[in-house]
Amino acid sequence: MLTNIISISLGAILINNFIFSQFLGCCPFLGCSSKVETATGMGLAVVFVMGLASAICWVINEYLLVALHLEFLQTLAFILVIAALVQFVEMFLKKSVPSLYSALGIYLPLITTNCAVLGVVLLNVQNNYNFLESLVYGITGGLGFMLAIVLFASVRERIEFSDYPECFEGFPICLVSAALLALAFMGFSGMKIF
Amino acid sequence: MNIKKQFKEGLITNNPVLVQLIGMCATMAITTTLFNGVGMGLSVLIILTCCNVVVSAIRKIIPNEIRLAIFVVIIAGFVTIVDLLLKAYIPALSDALGVFIPLIVVNCIIIGRAEAFCQKNTVGASFFDGIFQGLGYTLVLIVMCVFRELVGSGRFGGGLIDLAKGITMDGTGAGIQIFPETYGASIMTLPFGGFLTLGLLIAVMQYALKKSAKKQELKAQEEKEVEE
Amino acid sequence: MNKILKLTIVLFLVCAIVAGVLGVVNELTKDTIAEQQRIKTERAYAAVLASDGYAEVDFDKAAYPSIDVISECTNGAGHVVMTTFTGAQGKITMAVGVDTDYKCTGISIISHSETSGLGANAASSAEVGVNWRAQFVGEDKTVAITKAGGNIDALAGATITSRSVAEATATAIMAVESLG
Repeated sequence: MLTNIISISLGAILINNFIFSQFLGCCPFLGCSSKVETATGMGLAVVFVMGLASAICWVINEYLLVALHLEFLQTLAFILVIAALVQFVEMFLKKSVPSLYSALGIYLPLITTNCAVLGVVLLNVQNNYNFLESLVYGITGGLGFMLAIVLFASVRERIEFSDYPECFEGFPICLVSAALLALAFMGFSGMKIF
Repeated sequence: MNIKKQFKEGLITNNPVLVQLIGMCATMAITTTLFNGVGMGLSVLIILTCCNVVVSAIRKIIPNEIRLAIFVVIIAGFVTIVDLLLKAYIPALSDALGVFIPLIVVNCIIIGRAEAFCQKNTVGASFFDGIFQGLGYTLVLIVMCVFRELVGSGRFGGGLIDLAKGITMDGTGAGIQIFPETYGASIMTLPFGGFLTLGLLIAVMQYALKKSAKKQELKAQEEKEVEE
Repeated sequence: MNKILKLTIVLFLVCAIVAGVLGVVNELTKDTIAEQQRIKTERAYAAVLASDGYAEVDFDKAAYPSIDVISECTNGAGHVVMTTFTGAQGKITMAVGVDTDYKCTGISIISHSETSGLGANAASSAEVGVNWRAQFVGEDKTVAITKAGGNIDALAGATITSRSVAEATATAIMAVESLG
C-alpha cells in the first residue's frame, strides 16, 4: 500500500511529470511563468484545486455516475464540478483567508481551463485508482506542475537578458527552453520504483 | 465579414496555434504520427464547428452572467458525443488519442472562439469560422506530425497510409520509410521534440509575418512618395 | 433573488438538455462500443493462440493479482491469459498464449500508454514490433530480457517496457501452471 503511494507520488512529480512528459497544463505553464512569484502562486493554486477536485470527483464518479450507470456523463460532470469548485474556493478564500486570496487571486479563475485539472481527474478514472490513490495522484500531480512552472520561471527570468534571433522573441524561445527542461526530465524516465 | 478573409485568418494570419497561441497542450502531445494528427485535427474541427453554430444561434437568449458556464456545458456535450462515436466506429483513434479527446473540453480554441467570435456574429459567419479555424489547427498538427515523424523515425504517414490501403486498422502501421529508422533522431518523437518543433514553427511564423508587414509598409511608403 | 433563481433554472435546463442528448447518443453507440471491445479481445486471443472458442476458468486471484482473466481454449490447445501490469509510463494490458507444455505461443498488447517510438514499438504492427514479439514464442516461465539473463533482446531505448512485458509473460505462464 505504502509502496504503491510512494510510487504514484514519485511518478507524478518526476517520472511522468504533468508538463514535461504528459503535456497537461501547458497553457498556464507558458502563460504564467514570466516571474518566479507568480509561478509559485499559480503552482500553489493548482496543487490545492487538483487535490480537492480529485477527491470530490472520485466520490461523484463512484457513488453517482458508476452507481447509476451514467459513465458517459463523466466529462460533463467533472468539468462542472471543477468550475463550481474553483468558484467556491475563490469565495471561501476571499472571506476567510484574505491573505492567501490576494496571493492566488487572479490565478484561481484561470484554473478552470487548466487541462491538468480535468486531466488528473480523467486519469484517476482510467487508472482505476481508489480514493486515497486518487487524492495522492491529484496532490503530487499538482506538485509536479508547481516544480515545473517554478523551474521554468527562473529560466525565463534569465532569458530576458540573453541574445537570441529576433523572430524567436516571446513564445518560441520559451518553448525551446522548455524543450531543454523536458530533456532533463527525461533522465528520470529510467527510474523505476519497486 | 467575408469568407475569403475568414479563410486567410483561420489558416494563416490569425491561426489559433501559431498566432493566437492557444490550444497547445494537445498540439505538442499527440503529434507523433500523421494518423493521430489528422484524427485530432478533424475531431476538433467538427466539435468547434458544432459549438460555434449552437453558441451563435442561442447567443441572444442566454443570460450574460452565466454564458461561460453554458458554453462549457455545450462544449462538454459535443466532446462526449465525438468521444462516443470514435469509440464505436474508429476505436484505433480513440485508443491512440486517449485522454486528449475528453480534454478537448478545456482546449482554449473552442471556448476562445465562442467568447471572442460567436457571441457577436451570425450563425453563418460562425459556421465558417469554425471550419477555417479548425482547418488552421489541423494544418499545424499535420506540419508538426510530418516533421516529427520524418526526423524522428524516417517515416511518412504512419498508420494513415496503411489505414487507407486497409492493411492495418490500428493506426500503428509503418507508412512509407524514407530513410532507415536507425538514422532517425528518435528524440523528436519524445516530449522534447514536441516543445522544440512547436517553438521553431512559431518562430518561422513570426519571421514570415514580420517580413510581410515590412513589405506592406514599404509599399505604402512608395505609393505615398509617388503621389507626392 | 428572482434573478438568481432564473439563472439557476436556465443553467439547469441547458444541463438537462445536454444530458438528454448524450443519453440518446450513448444508447445508440453502446452496443457498437461493446461489440468493438469484444472484437478487439477476440482478435488478441486469436493472435496468440488460435481456437474455435474460449471458456473462462477460475484461478487464484490472490496469488496472481496482475492477471485479469484466464481462458481455456475449447480445442485443447492451451490457455490464454489477460494481464494488466505497469510498464514504463502506465498500465499495459496484454494477452499471452500458453500451450499445454507451458510454453508461450505468442503475446499481443491490447492497450498501453508507452512512449511513442520507443516503448510503443512493443505494440506496433510494424516490422520492429512483430519481430520483437516473435521472440517470446516458445519461451517458458524463465523468460527474461538478456540483461536479466534471458533470451529476449530489449527494444532499443525501452528496457523498462521490455522488462515489464517479459516479467508479465513469465507470471502469466506460472499462473497457468498453477492451474495444473
